[in-house]
Amino acid sequence: MSLKNMTITPGWEKYMTKEYIDLVERGPYGKQKKVSEMGSFKEILEEHPMCAGCAMTLFIRLTMVGLPNPEHTILIGTAGCGRLALTQTSIPFIYGNYGDTNAVASGLKRGLEVRFKDQAKDVVVMAGDGGLADIGFSAVMHSWFRKERFTTIMLDNEVYGNTGGQESGMTERGALLKMAPKGKLFDKMDMIGLAKTSGVAYIARLTPTNPTRVASVVRKAVMIAREVGPTFIQAYTSCNIEYAIPTPKVLDDARDIESKRYGFMEIISDEAKAYLDSIDTAKKAKKE
Amino acid sequence: MYLVAHIDQAICSETACRLCTQYCPEANTILYDNAAKTAFVAVDRCKGCEICVGICDDLAKHHAIKMIMITDLQDTFELSKEGFRPESWTGKHP
Repeated sequence: MSLKNMTITPGWEKYMTKEYIDLVERGPYGKQKKVSEMGSFKEILEEHPMCAGCAMTLFIRLTMVGLPNPEHTILIGTAGCGRLALTQTSIPFIYGNYGDTNAVASGLKRGLEVRFKDQAKDVVVMAGDGGLADIGFSAVMHSWFRKERFTTIMLDNEVYGNTGGQESGMTERGALLKMAPKGKLFDKMDMIGLAKTSGVAYIARLTPTNPTRVASVVRKAVMIAREVGPTFIQAYTSCNIEYAIPTPKVLDDARDIESKRYGFMEIISDEAKAYLDSIDTAKKAKKE
Repeated sequence: MYLVAHIDQAICSETACRLCTQYCPEANTILYDNAAKTAFVAVDRCKGCEICVGICDDLAKHHAIKMIMITDLQDTFELSKEGFRPESWTGKHP
């Protein structure tokens, strides 16, 4: 997939849907759009069947704005809520089986590096806490140990939202859920600590309370994954159904959780920092 | 019947804060007309979650967005009918 492939062959415009034409002519391909421009360009994400007021949808929408080169990106997901929106983006999406998302991404990234030597292709894994921390745990860890160059984004809603509210490894201790009526007995898994131990080049933990920050974190993570090594983003994206949050209060809840326990955190390796600085210097030199 | 977000463009056009366009979970639902400096809603995409109302009232403190019954709207903008064509926006939005 590239910008050239998206362009409609002359004479065939009348057979294409309105949405596709809008995307090619007024979409973000080839131009780096900012969060502040949202609402005045055609977005990569289309209509999707996710619940009203879902924080995960907001996070995915902002992620799509943050991608540095959407036309050269491939998304990988698995069963879970996130794939309902991810499949409605105009970015190639691979539906990995439960457990193998990061193994698929490893092979894909290596293949793309061989096939496209002159063009950087970004691979982004986006799956839920169940898909990455529970079922996909071993593939996630091994992709980090092997220093595979792609981004892993965890949509952490702290529950199996799609299947009726079972506790996951990322659920908080004591959380009462429909399928965990006694409350969870164990602590939330420390994925950030595990990522640190495995030597992930860029680690971030955030909530979607600041749209600009979400986009900039995603951009940094994808850029670092291109050259330096694996990157990991853990994002709190509440499930307003399973945690019974009224939709007008979804962002209040995100702000509350952010201030109480989630916070915003970034861990960046020296090599990754030097790489980001070199990009900034090159950009400044270009401007002058 | 159901509720959809409705933006008072007289209030909105005075501020240009654009916060609702960034916090809406749905893509291309709250659109922004750069010429008229106002946000407006594509009602066919609005799921009625009211996040934008909270953002406009509490964060931006402009109180420009209200939830109203879809049947009470005289005229509506639907993205599936009109497509995303900012050049055809006249500055007057329903």
